[in-house]
Amino acid sequence: MKINKKILISFLSCIISFLSFSEELLLKNAKIHTATERGTLENSDVLIRDGVILRIGKNLVSSRAKEKDLSGKVISPGFIAPQTQLGIVEIELVPETRDDRSDIYSAGLSIDSAFNASSTLIPYNLTGGITLSLTTPSSSGLFSGLTSVFSLSGSLEESLVISNIALSANISGGEDSMAAKILLLEDSLNLAAITDFGLSPFISKGEVQNAKSRNNQSNYYKIYESSLPEEVSYSARDLVALKKVVNREIPLVVKANRASHILALIDFAKRKNINLIIHGAKEGWRVSRQLAKAKIPVILQPIDNIPNSFNELGSRLDNAYLLNKSGVTILIGSHETHNAYLSRQGAGIAVSYGLPWEEALKGLTKNIADVFNLDKRGSIQPGYIADIVVWNGDPLEVTSFVEEAYLSGKAVPVRNRSMKLKDRYINQ
Amino acid sequence: MKKYLFMIFIGTFSFLTLSPEETKAFESTYEPNDSGDVFIEDARILTGTGKEILKGSILISSNKVKAIGESLSKPPGAKVIDANGKWVTPGIIDIHSHMGVYPAPSLRSSSDGNEATSPVTAHVWAEHSVWTQDPQMPLALKGGITTFHVLPGSANLIGGRGVTLKNIWSRTVQGMKFPGAPYTLKMACGENPKRVYGGRNSEPSTRMGNVAGYRKAWIRAQGYRNKLEEYKSKSEEAKELEYAPSRDLELETLVGVLEGEILIQNHCYRGEEMAVMLDIAKEFNYKVTAFHHAVEAYKVADILADNGVCAAMWADWWGFKHEAFDMVWENAAIVDQANSGTGCAIIHSDSAIGIQRLNQEAAKAMAAGNRAGFNILPSRAIKWITSNPAKALGIADKVGSLEAGKMADVVIWDGNPFSVYSKTEKVFVDGLLLYDKDNPSTPKATDFELGIINSQENRL
Repeated sequence: MKINKKILISFLSCIISFLSFSEELLLKNAKIHTATERGTLENSDVLIRDGVILRIGKNLVSSRAKEKDLSGKVISPGFIAPQTQLGIVEIELVPETRDDRSDIYSAGLSIDSAFNASSTLIPYNLTGGITLSLTTPSSSGLFSGLTSVFSLSGSLEESLVISNIALSANISGGEDSMAAKILLLEDSLNLAAITDFGLSPFISKGEVQNAKSRNNQSNYYKIYESSLPEEVSYSARDLVALKKVVNREIPLVVKANRASHILALIDFAKRKNINLIIHGAKEGWRVSRQLAKAKIPVILQPIDNIPNSFNELGSRLDNAYLLNKSGVTILIGSHETHNAYLSRQGAGIAVSYGLPWEEALKGLTKNIADVFNLDKRGSIQPGYIADIVVWNGDPLEVTSFVEEAYLSGKAVPVRNRSMKLKDRYINQ
Repeated sequence: MKKYLFMIFIGTFSFLTLSPEETKAFESTYEPNDSGDVFIEDARILTGTGKEILKGSILISSNKVKAIGESLSKPPGAKVIDANGKWVTPGIIDIHSHMGVYPAPSLRSSSDGNEATSPVTAHVWAEHSVWTQDPQMPLALKGGITTFHVLPGSANLIGGRGVTLKNIWSRTVQGMKFPGAPYTLKMACGENPKRVYGGRNSEPSTRMGNVAGYRKAWIRAQGYRNKLEEYKSKSEEAKELEYAPSRDLELETLVGVLEGEILIQNHCYRGEEMAVMLDIAKEFNYKVTAFHHAVEAYKVADILADNGVCAAMWADWWGFKHEAFDMVWENAAIVDQANSGTGCAIIHSDSAIGIQRLNQEAAKAMAAGNRAGFNILPSRAIKWITSNPAKALGIADKVGSLEAGKMADVVIWDGNPFSVYSKTEKVFVDGLLLYDKDNPSTPKATDFELGIINSQENRL
């Protein structure tokens, strides 16, 4: 009797798991932009099982799938917003609505606990086609902090996708020489490299000092390397983040625009053997050959061609085109968080200046996933997570709209506060 | 010559007892070269009057549109431009720009847009801050901008006079000034003035402080006007016995508004604030010509239409401050369609990035409106960036539409202007081809851009 009960339980759990695994969705007859080498497929179907893309092709059938006819509609991967403050800023000029800065922590600032899945910016940007955000703090020092990846599902408990995947730094602005900032970048990484935390990163400042002096005594070179300027101090948490860069566990994203600054950073990355991503790169086209050779990707805001400082006098609208032509991997973002989704307008403009359309789409999706190691994201192919957006037309065209969105294969409402305001007033 | 001066004296600021010299200060010196005859044929024309001509021609003669229509005959000797079926629109007009007063590069040394030292600075004129070699201007020309209106910033309740410029290269601001355009006055509602002055613990620090500030200024203006009128009404003998009231730069501008000769351009985001500003205008008997950055115009669209006030809006900017929190994509469409389509919607930029593609911003706003159930055609939406801003700047008799007698500001696009993929191919200002995509030496680079990347290269 006892055994029978066990068998019964395992039989039932088999059925339960079979049922829960069998949720299928079949999107039919759409134009599918895959953001892969397969390019765009006309009048095709996507079969999704349990949130993952199972098959793509024509005339797919499944006996148990819920079918949805999307004739005349366009499907793209959900766009990924690189380097935004989505979820950590509500109103830019209202400091108490901002969680994107810290004076206490620098490199070690991880913003996961501050992320507000109920921010109005989240459903709004989902309405614009963004499904994932690489949310990044924007502290003004040399290091802004750590990037984490969030889904725009609005779920209080399940928005965080991957934590602390990149470290951001900024070498422009302020009074200090750019050279001093590169030196400080180097000294900071050196210090992190020789700091041994053992098992626990949560050690006191005194312990860091001890660790420093232990190392200092052992080797003159290390003393030299680990001496930071007096004004600079890092907490253990900051050093742990820096160490991840040193160990090539995460990339370092550095904001830089001037061609000569970009070259200096390429050289720096090579010397320190780190993974570098350039953010901004307004004069990137002038050093595209060097960027391509060093395999350094760039995050661009292609809409911004204003020579806003003496570090970006060479800004131009065909920057994305020229970089792509030289073999540089381009990631396309927006210059503002509230309208992070307008990265698609920038992508469209880049296309009008010569960037191939499929490359522009990859710049909004696949390239971002690849560069930041977002596993199984950013394109429509079998085995990939079904973050999918349905459009009424060309996703890069300013007159197109999102009609439906699926996050991990689950339909999410395409509805935001702005729409409710419109409904209240449009017929008054 | 004397007669000429006298006419200007009568025509401009007739309320003031200014000498001809005083009146003539900072006059436009813009005089385009003769364009000769230019004939643009086989064009799909959005006229800016609400019409679309599917296959038509435009004849330009000596800087003016001479004729437009489906079956014009080519005059002998005219320079012929075959548009090959491409779209043609009037030159685009941006009613809200800070080019020249907040130029690029953005440096403290040329950041001259806000005289944020006192909440009422009606005595300052934006044109006196304009750096004519701002590289943002030729970028805007490539985006089809032929006329733009430069305003002081919004730190102040009353920020000073704005100026309307033609988008041409000139050594002097007078050389860019739009001939015959009325002056404007910038006012600002809401957060900015109260933040700037409240932050210094001075008035205004609240919205009610803002409103008191406007009203106090208009009361002073009324007093000054009474003084001027009293002097003017005196006999010649009496006038000889006393001095004319001394000039007051600040109040001259405010009286210019009360006399209807200077147009109010009012930065105002919130619906209830717009309604309050309209009541102030009634209290002091002046007119608000346009609300700018009117993020909540859709909430009061019928009130704006009833009062004949235009709203200048972005397609989708929001969230940078609290008063910009209630943005809707349908804003421009709702304003446009208010009271049976009698609203006056304008898409503006306030941005050196946005000014390069007001066509795309209008496209977004049009598409959002149509998705919400309106039926707004490109022939109507183009007015948001051409004839409507022209109207709100008081220059609709000269630009903003392609009609006989108007300045020949014309844009030829390489595709549907309501698309992200379309760019301008040719931009004419007063019949002169100032940007031609096939001519790399256009638009003319500013002085700043010469040899700026390296000594051999120019920026553009």
